[in-house]
Parts: sequence; C-alpha cells; structure tokens
Amino acid sequence: MSLFPGGGVALGKLGLTEEDIMDEIESGKRDLVKELVAMSSREQIQAIRVLPMCLEDKKHIRSQVHDSKLSKHGLQLTCFTDCSEQVSRSFRRCGANVVSARQAMKLWQGTMKEVGGKFGTSVLSYFIFLKWLLMFNVFSFLINFGFVTVPQLIQPPNKTAAVGFRGLELLTGAGYFNQTVLYYGGYSNGTIGNEPVYDMQLAYFFTIAAYLVLCAVSLIYSVARSFQKNFVLSTTGSAWRLLCSWDFSITSEKAIRQRKNNLRVQLKESLSERSQRAHISTSAKLKQFGIHLGTWLISTALALASCAAIYYLGLYNLEVIKDSQDSISLLTEASTLLLPFVVSLINLIIPLLYSLINKTEKYSNPRTQIYVIILRNVFLKMGILGILCYYWMYNVPTTISCWESFIGQDLYRLVIIDFIFSMLESFFGEFLHNVIGTRCLPSLGVPEFDIARNVLDLIYAQTLAWIGIYFSPLLPLIQMIKLFLMFYLKKVSLNQNCQPPRRSGRAAQMQTIFIALLFFPSFVGALSMVAYTVWSLKPSEHCGPFQGLNITFEAVALWMDRQGSVSESMWPVWIYNNVIKSELFFYLISLIILVLIFFFWQITQGRKLLITLLREQIVNEGKDKAFLLDKLQKLQKEKQTTASSQRPYRQIPQSFDRRQEIEPDYDQDFEDLPGRPLPEEDTGPVGPPFTSALIQAMMARRQAEEEEEEGY
Amino acid sequence: MGNKQTIFTDEQLDAYQDCTFFTRKEILRLHGRYHELAPHLVPMDYTNDPDVKLPLALIVNMPELKENPFRSRIVESFSEDGEGNLSFNDFVDMFSVLSETAPRELKAIYAFKIYDFNTDNFLCKEDLEKTLNKLTREELTPEEVVLVCEKSIEEADLDGDSKLSFADFENMITRAPDFISTFHIRI
Repeated sequence: MSLFPGGGVALGKLGLTEEDIMDEIESGKRDLVKELVAMSSREQIQAIRVLPMCLEDKKHIRSQVHDSKLSKHGLQLTCFTDCSEQVSRSFRRCGANVVSARQAMKLWQGTMKEVGGKFGTSVLSYFIFLKWLLMFNVFSFLINFGFVTVPQLIQPPNKTAAVGFRGLELLTGAGYFNQTVLYYGGYSNGTIGNEPVYDMQLAYFFTIAAYLVLCAVSLIYSVARSFQKNFVLSTTGSAWRLLCSWDFSITSEKAIRQRKNNLRVQLKESLSERSQRAHISTSAKLKQFGIHLGTWLISTALALASCAAIYYLGLYNLEVIKDSQDSISLLTEASTLLLPFVVSLINLIIPLLYSLINKTEKYSNPRTQIYVIILRNVFLKMGILGILCYYWMYNVPTTISCWESFIGQDLYRLVIIDFIFSMLESFFGEFLHNVIGTRCLPSLGVPEFDIARNVLDLIYAQTLAWIGIYFSPLLPLIQMIKLFLMFYLKKVSLNQNCQPPRRSGRAAQMQTIFIALLFFPSFVGALSMVAYTVWSLKPSEHCGPFQGLNITFEAVALWMDRQGSVSESMWPVWIYNNVIKSELFFYLISLIILVLIFFFWQITQGRKLLITLLREQIVNEGKDKAFLLDKLQKLQKEKQTTASSQRPYRQIPQSFDRRQEIEPDYDQDFEDLPGRPLPEEDTGPVGPPFTSALIQAMMARRQAEEEEEEGY
Repeated sequence: MGNKQTIFTDEQLDAYQDCTFFTRKEILRLHGRYHELAPHLVPMDYTNDPDVKLPLALIVNMPELKENPFRSRIVESFSEDGEGNLSFNDFVDMFSVLSETAPRELKAIYAFKIYDFNTDNFLCKEDLEKTLNKLTREELTPEEVVLVCEKSIEEADLDGDSKLSFADFENMITRAPDFISTFHIRI
C-alpha cells in the first residue's frame, strides 16, 4: 500500500474494492519495473533511490528489475551476463569506496558538521566560504610554485649584497627576503636550460595571466549559479517562514529555543508591519530621511578621511625609505610597519563606529539594515585598497628603484599585520565581550558571531592576495597558512564565546551577495590593477623578469615577433596580430553581446507574462476539478439509490456494503457545505505517482463496467 | 573492502547502497547506532533479515532528534504502520532522505508528510496551526496563530481550495533555495 500514502483509504471511500486497489497498485508497479529495466545501470540506481517508497518496496522493485533483466537476456548469455554483472557490481563497489575515502579525506568535514549542528547554516556558510577561498589559494600557489619558482630555483640569478637574516623579516618581509624568490625582484629575465629553452619572462606572464583568467571564469560561474538559485526563484512571506525555514540540523537545546524565539518575533513583526505602514506621518518620514542622510554623510566622511590619512602616511613612508635606500637600518625597517598598522587599525575601528551609527537609524526592513552596513563597509575597504593602489601605481615606481619588490613587501606586511589584528579582534571582540557580558554587565549579553563583518574581512584579505600575485608569486602560500590558522581560530572563538545568531537570516541570499562582492569590487579591482601594471607601467630597470622592457606586455610582443620570423608556427602569430591587437574584433564582440542581452531580456519578459497566465489557468483548473468531482459524487449517489431499489447483484455485494457504510458521511458533508467540494472527498492528489485524473478515470471505468453488468 | 563484517551479506549491503544515499561504511555505522538504541532487542546478525522494530519512544531519544520539534511526526512518517515503530530498513530510509545528497523532490514529499498531521494529504488550517504551535512553543495568541495560518494559505494556495495540496507545497519549495540544506539531519 506504500505507493499510496493514505490513498488506499481515499480510493476505498470512492467505493472501490480492495481487490481493485491492489490490482491498480500491482499494475503501477509493473509499469515502473518496465520503465526501470529500459534505463542504464546508473540511471536505474538514481531512479530507485529517488522513489518515494519505503525501503523494503524499493529493494523488492530492485530485485524484480534484476530478475526481469536476466530473463530478458535469455539462457544462452547467462554466463556472460553473470560476468558483466559481477564486473559492474565490483566497479560500483570500488566507486563507492573511492567516494567514501574522498569524503573522509575532505578537509574539516567533522568540524563543519559540529558547527552546523550548534550554530545553524548561516554561520556554517562563513566556514564554507573560507574553505572555498583556501582552494583558490592552494591552486594559485601550486601553479606559481610549479611554473615560476621551481625553474628559478634551479638556476638562481646573481644576487647583489645579501643582507643577513634578522628576526624582523618575518614581519616586514624586507631585508633577507628581499632578493629571494618571494618577490618579483628575485626572478631573472633570462632563459633556463639549453634545449628546450624555458623563457622566464613568458613563464611569469602566462602563469599569472592563466591563473587570473581561470579565477575569473570560476567566479563568474559561481555568481551566476548562486544568483539564479537564490534570488530569481526565491520567495518570502509567512508560508515560507512557517514551512521551509526551520533548520532541522540544529541539535543543541539552547539554539533551538533561541530559534523558536526568533521565529515568534519575526512572525509578530511581519504581522504588525502591515498595520504600521499606514501610520507614519510626514514629519516622522522627513526626520527619518534626515537621519539617513546624516549617517550616510558621516560614514562617507569617515571613509574619505581614512583614505586621505593612509595616502599621506604612505607618502611619508616613501620619503623615509627613499633616503636610506641601500643600508636600511633596523629602525627604518620597523617604521615601514607603520602603514599596515594604521590600515588595520582603521579596518578595526571604523566598522565598529559604523555599527554604532547604524543603531541610531530605524529601518522598516531588517534586511535593509544589514545591506546598508555591508555597503558602507565595502566602500570603506575598497576605498582603502583603491587609495593604496593609486599610491603604488603613481608614487612608488618613480621613487624606488626595484619598485615591484617594494610593493610585494608592502602587501606582505599588510597581510601579516591583518592576520595579527584578526587575532586581536577575536580576542577583544569575542572573548572579552563574553567575559564582560556574563560576569560584569549582563545587559550586554553574550556576543553573536557577526557573519557579515567576518566575511568582509575575508574578502579584503583575499583581494590583497590577488593584487599581490604579480608582485610576490609566493604570497598565496602566506595566504594559505593564514586562512588555515583563521579557521581554527574562529572555530575555537565561536565555541567558547559566541551564541547562535538571533536572526534566522536568509543564508542563501547572503551567500550570493558575498560571492558577488568577491567578484565585483574585489577580484575585478585586483585584476584591473594588475592589468594596469602590465600594460602601462614601465618595469624596473635592474631587477625582475621584465627588466629593460618598456612595458611588461612587450615580452609577449617580442616573442610573437620572434615566432613570426620563424615560419613554422604561423597561426599563433596570426591570432595575435589580428585578434588580440586589433580593435575591430573587440567592437564586433561587444556588439554581438549587446544584441544577445537584448534578445534574452525579451525572452524574460515573455516568460513573466506566461507565468501570470499559467497561474490563472491553475485557479481555473481547480474550479473545474471541484465542479467535476461534485458531479461525480452526485452521479454516485444516484447510482446507489437506483441500485438499492433493485436486486443486489452477486458480483458487487462487498462494494455495496462498503458504500453503505460510507454513505452517511457523504450526506452529512453535503448538507454542511452546499456547493463546495467536500473536505473529506480525498479524491485529490493522493501522492505523486498517481494523480486525481487517474482516479477519476478509474471511477468512470468502474461505472462503465457496472453499466455493462446492468445492461447484461 | 578489506574488513570482514558479519552483520550483513554483501548482497544486502549492495541493495542498501543502491536504494539509499549511503555508502557501505555509513550503513554499518547506522546499524551500530540502531543497535545501541536497544542492544538486547536488535541482533548483531542481520543476514537473515530479522523482523525487529523499535518503538517511537526509543527513536526520539536519539541526540539528533531529541530536541527537534517535529521528532514524533518525522518518525511516524517513516514508519510503515504510521505509529512510529521503525525497522532497520525504515531507520535507514529516514536518515537517507534527511541526508545531504537526497534530492529536493524526495525531501519535499516527506516534508509534506511530516507537516500533514491528520494524514489527509492536504495541509489544511489545522495542520498549519499545529506546525506553528510546535515552532513557537505556543507563545503566540490564538488570534495571531489564526492570522499567520490564513496568511500562509493565502500566499501558497494556487488552486483556490483554501488548503495546500502537494502541488502547492512543492511549488513553494522550488522557490526556497535554503530548503535542501535546512531539511537535513546529520548522523
């Protein structure tokens, strides 16, 4: 009976006998088995797994499918089919073992389960995001190390006066590290080996270009998929909150209690929202507008002030360094740490000010509040990075001789100090807050894990790593170590100090926003900066793989010229000359893309119209269904009254009795709800495999059979 | 692959693997969990398919289900008799549907069963009211409960019969991207 969850009862009410019901179920099963036999093995397994039956029935169907497959092949091929069955089965077992081994090796699987169980899916999304960024850096490190660093290590360039290792290098990245392969300056512009020749210039350029292109493709794909899944198709409202929003994976009692409270609060808010909307007077609206304007002005002013401060500090820093180019004393080297220190301090304090300011504002929608905070923080961080890039692009190359290495060192320092400040932030923000909240000031409460702030910190750190790829090929290694340690740091802090988030937020939508932020200001910004460096700036004269050229891209141009003179390989040269260098190609591509966009937009409009029409159709179908079922019930009743007035036939005593039992129900229901479909009719959808249409058809068939009998 | 276990035959494990979203190791682990719920009732040797069912009271005390507001409904929906007595097959089936890899359509079917308290294949107002009470610890006033349920039906009911059929429910689920990750119990 399991194909019909509760449907057998429904059919019984229609006056069908048990035998009929069993017959229908059996024939349904036979059709299913026939369908499954026609599929390939893998599709079969997928289809069986997805059946909404209990496990015994599924196993039964599976064995039936196997049997019918065997019988199909006949006796001659038994041996062969046996062998192939064994082989495929052992392949499947192997495959499953590989999958489970891979799952066991998956990084941090156990920790993620734990965090998800205690804090819910939205906090878990932070850790998943961290793991995803780690993968980017691992990939970057592997290809940089493999294609650029290793060949250089085989044949290192001549080093000028090497400085001894002092402990400060780990923080500042200068000094001993200056001439190593950690930075751009540690790479030569020559070739390695004799035959075949490995050109360091081309290797450096193409490795980094390939990595950035792959990153771009992967990010665009993730943003698009995430957007489609979480924004276009998503819904909100009471029904969603009631039926789809409960997180079944939470197991801790405290977290569940909190979630229930949140849900209650949210439902109350949404109920009162409707009534509140009408009651805001004009003066209150004006006041709110004034407050919003004020807070936006303040936050923009803060951001601009920080950017200006960083710029002038950078210039001052440059002065200090310029004066002592060759023999850099310990003090001067330590003073280079001032800039990253100030940047990290700004990144720590100003977001706190922003959240304080935010508390004074009133937003109608709590989601808007989060979006506004995120927007302000993004402006701040991207502003800081933008001003740093400007400083690096305009001021540094003209002042320092090996300026790419200098920028690499600056980035190294920024990354390290950022990490140290994250640790401090965890300590002060979460540990001390927890201690104060539980012991001294209970009104402060236990801190929540602020997902938005932490994710934005991750995005900022990743932007630094992406900018740094060109100037310091091994920076991804530092970033990898940093992310690895951050994971454990945040996990410990979370477990010890924080409580689950109060707002059961729309985790999926926030995820999309974060991925979009990672692509748009973060990656695109880093890419633009690297592109500008490669295409417009003159590389330094005496160090690095592009020394002596006018712009970095010239390396490729020269290579193409060299290839052109050798007549063997014409097509790359042709592609280079006519596709990459010509502007006409890019105009054509842009035009075609614009036309395609317009075309798809028209399709979207048409689909929206289609959706409204289909919705109306569903309502009409519902009314039709109710009308038809009503009519069927009436006909049924008439049949019974005419049948009871005649001699009962031998064939249908059972069903007749059954209908007698159910008769009173129908009468009563008919009286209660004139003209409306019965709530007890249950001829509606009984479960996914069998539709109401089928039941109506069965009823009609039964009536036809009875009419035949009567006629006979 | 290398270790000899005597709980299930290889064919049985193959069948489990083909019919659920678990691997062999996970099924053996599940058997361990099932066994520790009632060590004297559940045999260690399942090669001859013993007919052992554990009652509802034992299953809902598992740490994964203990605090879940819908624990009784979940176990009842996966039991064959509707009373919550789970055999090992039902037990595996339950966690398989609630695992990460189960597809959304399958989860929607069982979610619908779970929320359908009076098992009439519709989510009528009473079902929604009971769901709401389980989710908010009965701290909303009766008027608010009625209002919320009416609003929900208004939003989700497509064919206008003032209750939610499976088609309405499924339509709402397709537009809730979080559903797959929230309708998920880790074991």
